[in-house]
Amino acid sequence: MTVAAIPLRRLAATRLGWLADLLPFAVGVAVWQILSALEIWPRVLFPSPAEVFRAFVADIRSGVLPFNLGVSLRSLGIGFVVGAAIAVPLGYLMGLSRASRRFFDPLVNLLQAIPGLAWIPFAILWFGLGQGAVTFIIVMSVFFPVLHNLLTGIRMVQPVLIEAVQTLGAGRAAVIAHVIFPATLPNLMTGIRLGIAFGFRSLVGGEMIASTDGIGYAIFNAQQYFQSARIVVGMLAIGITWLVMDRVVLRPIEQRTTMRWGLMREGIERV
Amino acid sequence: MTMAAAPDLLVARNVCKTFFEPTRGEDVEALRDVTVAVRPHEFVSVIGPSGCGKSTFLRIVAGLDRPTAGEILVEGRPVVGPGADRGMVFQEYALLPWKTTRANVEFGLRLKGVPRGERARIAGRFIDLVGLTGFENRYPHHLSGGMRQRAAVARVLAVNPTVLLMDEPFAAVDAMTRQRLQEELAAIAAAERTTVLFVTHAIEEAVFLSDRVVVLSGRPGRIIADMTIALPRPRVWAALAQDAAFVDFRERLTRLIHTGGAPVGGHA
Repeated sequence: MTVAAIPLRRLAATRLGWLADLLPFAVGVAVWQILSALEIWPRVLFPSPAEVFRAFVADIRSGVLPFNLGVSLRSLGIGFVVGAAIAVPLGYLMGLSRASRRFFDPLVNLLQAIPGLAWIPFAILWFGLGQGAVTFIIVMSVFFPVLHNLLTGIRMVQPVLIEAVQTLGAGRAAVIAHVIFPATLPNLMTGIRLGIAFGFRSLVGGEMIASTDGIGYAIFNAQQYFQSARIVVGMLAIGITWLVMDRVVLRPIEQRTTMRWGLMREGIERV
Repeated sequence: MTMAAAPDLLVARNVCKTFFEPTRGEDVEALRDVTVAVRPHEFVSVIGPSGCGKSTFLRIVAGLDRPTAGEILVEGRPVVGPGADRGMVFQEYALLPWKTTRANVEFGLRLKGVPRGERARIAGRFIDLVGLTGFENRYPHHLSGGMRQRAAVARVLAVNPTVLLMDEPFAAVDAMTRQRLQEELAAIAAAERTTVLFVTHAIEEAVFLSDRVVVLSGRPGRIIADMTIALPRPRVWAALAQDAAFVDFRERLTRLIHTGGAPVGGHA
């Protein structure tokens, strides 16, 4: 009895967990449905959930949505990898060497305030209209949040941890590998989250102006033809893509590292 | 030359430390002419009022800070930086949060290149010695303060340091746990024949643990007494707390600290 009861209860708990996860979306769709059923605004300005769902199915069947999503995610992926691949080594270099910090810090600060989208004109001049220009803008957008958060993380490493391992015989390489890298992981993850979020913004903006493909372009194009349901499809595609990335990649990494180590929690309920 | 007869394991010779205090905007003299010699297997405590520079002194011995003048010799060799021959236990435990108890204890051995099997054997022995068997796979944030400090002690002992340095290691744990940890440390140091340099502001703790207690004056810290604690071992609180000799040592040291040094927090 008891042996069977425990897994059953666990299963029930996970099923309820799924329901709890779906609840906010169900509420959101319900409110949306009610608002559209009241017909306060014309259909073209406020499409109903059913219309959006039909447009969604149609865009998947025609292959338009998968194609555009594929184009966008390719640009986002390349842009993110390139941006992070420059920001992460530079961050550790600046964090660990005073000379490089003094050299790069003013430059980084100068460029930091310039939004990725401000690079669009040059991106078009250098790469022409298309995903090359979009990818460049994403690189510029991903780079700074990753670098900035990593630097903050390095500044927050507890000196006593470094000193403790030094008295155990750790040299510079061991301190970096066993103390500084894991200690900066929470901030690095925050930087990656923000980098991807900023990347999405620039992706959509960039595609609206500088490209003829991708989700951003699809949203922009749908507006030209008053296909408001397809605008929502594009917006939801971005939201759902992010949600999946967060649940499938980022959160499991955090659960296996920073949360397991007690460096980060889900939240603070006991206040 | 300092003491002629016994081959000193650790010698601090005329150590002085002056550092710039940014909040005051001026130089502060923390230590003046501190000379201490520690013989093999000796348990020596350094006590003094807060701000007397005792932790600074220990950090200089560890190689984490540099003296303004003077030198530290370990087995005759001058200290130029931190090293595994002077493992240190900190008040804040300083365990690596991303490593389990076992991985923390094995860490110094891993740095030394000790093979995996040997590492596990040595770590297991010290985890057992500090009473953490069964908690090998826990991360530090799942351990109590006392358990964390036990793990930190095991981590340093596993590397077999020439001198074990301890900077107020039990200051952050509750009073009952502190007494237990003190008894355990006294027993472990005796059994392992560990040489210990221990810093504390708790006079009782110093008397309980030590073969010798070095007393520093208020700032700048100078040595005002070097007292041999002739109490039998093993030492347990139940027996010692009311012991006449123990109480006598404690009272003498208390008087020394309150009358011997410059005013507490005074600035030369």
